[in-house]
Amino acid sequence: MTSTETGRPERTAEITEKGSAGRGEREDEVVLGISPAFCSFFTKTISNIPLAEVLREVMAGVEEQGVSLRIVRVKDSSDLAKIAHRAARLSGSGIGVGILSRGTSMIHQKDLAKLSNLELFPQAPLLTPETFRAIGSNAAQYAKGESPAPVPVQNDFMARPRYQAKAALLHLKETEMIEPDGGIVELDVSIRRAGS
Amino acid sequence: MTQTGDRHLDPAVDYPLSSRRPDLLHTPTGKHIEDLTLDAVVAGDLSPLDLRIAPDTLLMQAEIADGAGRWQLAENFRRAAEMTEIPDERVLAMYNALRPNASTGQELADLADELEREYSAERTAALVREAADVYERRDLLAAADD
Amino acid sequence: MTSTDRPAQNRHSRRTEILEARPVQLDGFVEEWPEVGMIAMESPYDPEPSIRVEDGVIVEMDGRERSDFDFLDQFIADHAIDVSAAEEAMALDAQEIAARVVDPRVPRQDILHLTRGLTPAKLLDVVESMNVVEIMMAMQKMRARRTPANQAHSTSARDNPVQVAADAAEAALRGFAELETTLGIVRYAPLVAIALQVGGQTGRGGVITQCALEEATELELGMRGITAYAETISVYGTESVFVDGDDTPWSKAFLASAYASRGIKMRFTSGTGSEVQMGNAEGRSMLYLEIRCIQVAKGAGVQGLQNGSISCIGVPGAVPSGIRAVAAENLVASMLDLECASGNDQSFSHSPMRRTARTMPQLLPGTDFVVSGFSGVPNADNMFAGSNWDPEDYDDWNTIQRDLKVDGGLRHVAEKEVLAVRGKAIRALQAVFAGLDLPPITDEEVDAGIYAHGSEELPERDVLEDLKAAKGVMDRGITGLDLVAALEKGGFRDVAENLLGVLRQRVSGDLLQTSAILDGDFSVRSAINDANDYAGPGTGYRPSGERWEEMKRLRHVLSASNPEQEVE
Repeated sequence: MTSTETGRPERTAEITEKGSAGRGEREDEVVLGISPAFCSFFTKTISNIPLAEVLREVMAGVEEQGVSLRIVRVKDSSDLAKIAHRAARLSGSGIGVGILSRGTSMIHQKDLAKLSNLELFPQAPLLTPETFRAIGSNAAQYAKGESPAPVPVQNDFMARPRYQAKAALLHLKETEMIEPDGGIVELDVSIRRAGS
Repeated sequence: MTQTGDRHLDPAVDYPLSSRRPDLLHTPTGKHIEDLTLDAVVAGDLSPLDLRIAPDTLLMQAEIADGAGRWQLAENFRRAAEMTEIPDERVLAMYNALRPNASTGQELADLADELEREYSAERTAALVREAADVYERRDLLAAADD
Repeated sequence: MTSTDRPAQNRHSRRTEILEARPVQLDGFVEEWPEVGMIAMESPYDPEPSIRVEDGVIVEMDGRERSDFDFLDQFIADHAIDVSAAEEAMALDAQEIAARVVDPRVPRQDILHLTRGLTPAKLLDVVESMNVVEIMMAMQKMRARRTPANQAHSTSARDNPVQVAADAAEAALRGFAELETTLGIVRYAPLVAIALQVGGQTGRGGVITQCALEEATELELGMRGITAYAETISVYGTESVFVDGDDTPWSKAFLASAYASRGIKMRFTSGTGSEVQMGNAEGRSMLYLEIRCIQVAKGAGVQGLQNGSISCIGVPGAVPSGIRAVAAENLVASMLDLECASGNDQSFSHSPMRRTARTMPQLLPGTDFVVSGFSGVPNADNMFAGSNWDPEDYDDWNTIQRDLKVDGGLRHVAEKEVLAVRGKAIRALQAVFAGLDLPPITDEEVDAGIYAHGSEELPERDVLEDLKAAKGVMDRGITGLDLVAALEKGGFRDVAENLLGVLRQRVSGDLLQTSAILDGDFSVRSAINDANDYAGPGTGYRPSGERWEEMKRLRHVLSASNPEQEVE
């Protein structure tokens, strides 16, 4: 689906790096960790949702709850659990979200074991822009100490033949983009309509 | 019951044991396989222990596997014969101890000793010692101070 | 097609539009990337075969010195390869070995004397020299059991035991020799495993059942006699992925013996694509890594293997020659004298033509279990994330068997028999639940279950009560014997006899031998007393007699004596 097909205006993300990311002081923040090639080499998820749109939805979902969002890029790993857990450990509230370029996402909490999580969205092809907004919203609610109902996910037994190999390819490519000494950098993100 | 398992079984003649050689089949509780009837279940004469395989039977199946040219399968059955005596929970715990980074070298050495001492499980103990050796070389032992 | 304004020169032909609308376009295809292992076989980065033996120990294998062996290399060198056969077998040209494997005049036993001495890279070279027809020719001879069989899944999107029992009974009646279930909510396992066992023994005494769970839990259900065998004991082809799966070849070998020590049949599971899917293929081809898995299974002394990519089928399915590689991995399992449950068990393609073609390399030559498994519930209810075959395909399968005179293990059954056995299975489960003080099964559920296609047509159960009861089954130490007693008390003496017959098998250990299944009269059929004896035209297993008459029957066949009627 192109953005034209979704009926949404095309958007672009302008991302600038602000240096090494630090631990947050505010208790009302969520940290979003994005993967090495997110909005750099890659421009859309496995099911062709523009990554600028993904960012916009997560930002909107968090802000709707009156919580603030910091966005960081984890440059040295393509492991979703690692990215989400590191985001959580940087977050003043202890709640972090990790998103890989292909769309696979996770909500994490800093005190949980790395291989555990609050919510996991393993089936990237089934995630819609609405799901990403709901992920932002739920993360913000966890940050406020609430217990939101988990974001519902669809199931489709025909996702495997369509997407399994593409997912593997995207993961391999993202892994190739890792900068082993890149650490975690804080980002300034602004979303604009294309052409504006 | 003998523990030799060496009855000169011929795969072509004696297998399946359940139909060809039921005379050889007993449970670890000493019951004959033909005593395992529905009437016995209804009468409450059978316990789950009566439905376990005897070590001697596993040794006979090992002999049959060997006779069919399957030496690894036979070896598996011989380890299994040793393990019949180990309680269910202990078997599960031993399996978990053999997972990567789950045990120190000393813990695996102790496990191997326990297998030999408590259960006369020499073959299984050898497998554990071999694992300990490989885990050390491949850095898959738990750190001693964990 | 990303821009909003499509230039005029982008005009498409009507034919292109029709082709674009075909189901096959929904499948994913990717280009090879051999450097990271995104290649099915014939990779320039797979090792060259080599072996060096000193004092009876393999000190070099496939170009790697013993001191550099990873744990798979070491396990394979020390447990899988017969050192006494190795140097002679390795000296033969791979193409010569392949020719002997394919040649019907070279007996299966002679091939086994060679293959037991081959390294992973050499086995790879052997199968790489075969095309897919040669792979099928070889499989026809190398399959361990003479008579092919089939396996079904019986699961429920709602983990509803009533549905599982009814569909297990129908699947057993239709001819499946093994039944497998798994769960959406893992805590439901004891009730669903009971339903599978009761349903299966109602459909046809002697089918054997399993419940796919985490290794330790799966073993516990087996030890209690609630399930009869196990299959989901996964092995992987690189050390890092194996360790990520929280196991090693040694822990798996221990587990294999643990199952045997309780008289329980088991096989391992592996498949092409799992390592590259997890991003750790170490630059090797999918088939090379899978051959390492097969040899780990061999070395562990397990009797068999489920392979054929399994849950990763979308990966080899997307690259060139991927389905040939899948056929080759099944063949290698059989060449190493393992029982092979040959996959075809996961949703694979949107194209009915690709779905069918993908199964031919197993169905035509026959394997120990052609499909592992064939969904006995509609794919929407399949908790293994969908199979390549489901009940809507039953009649297509039966027709293909009849067209080609190949035995895929199934048969056509008249609806009245199906309904009768579904009803009996649910009522037997109703009696067991009542006898064990589990949440009741209502008569409304019995009626709905008989006629249902999927879980949505059944009344919803009280999930919380069921889960509480499921925990109770474990806490109270319920075993297979309690099920037997409850069936007898509930008036299902024949089903009770069948279940006891299956439990009694573990005392004899006969089912532990390679490729063992139980016939309807509870006689064991394995690679020992039903060894594959194919030796060319006119030999080996061919459908005949009663079985062939059964295979001729379909839902609608015109009567020759009265063409206005159909054959019953």
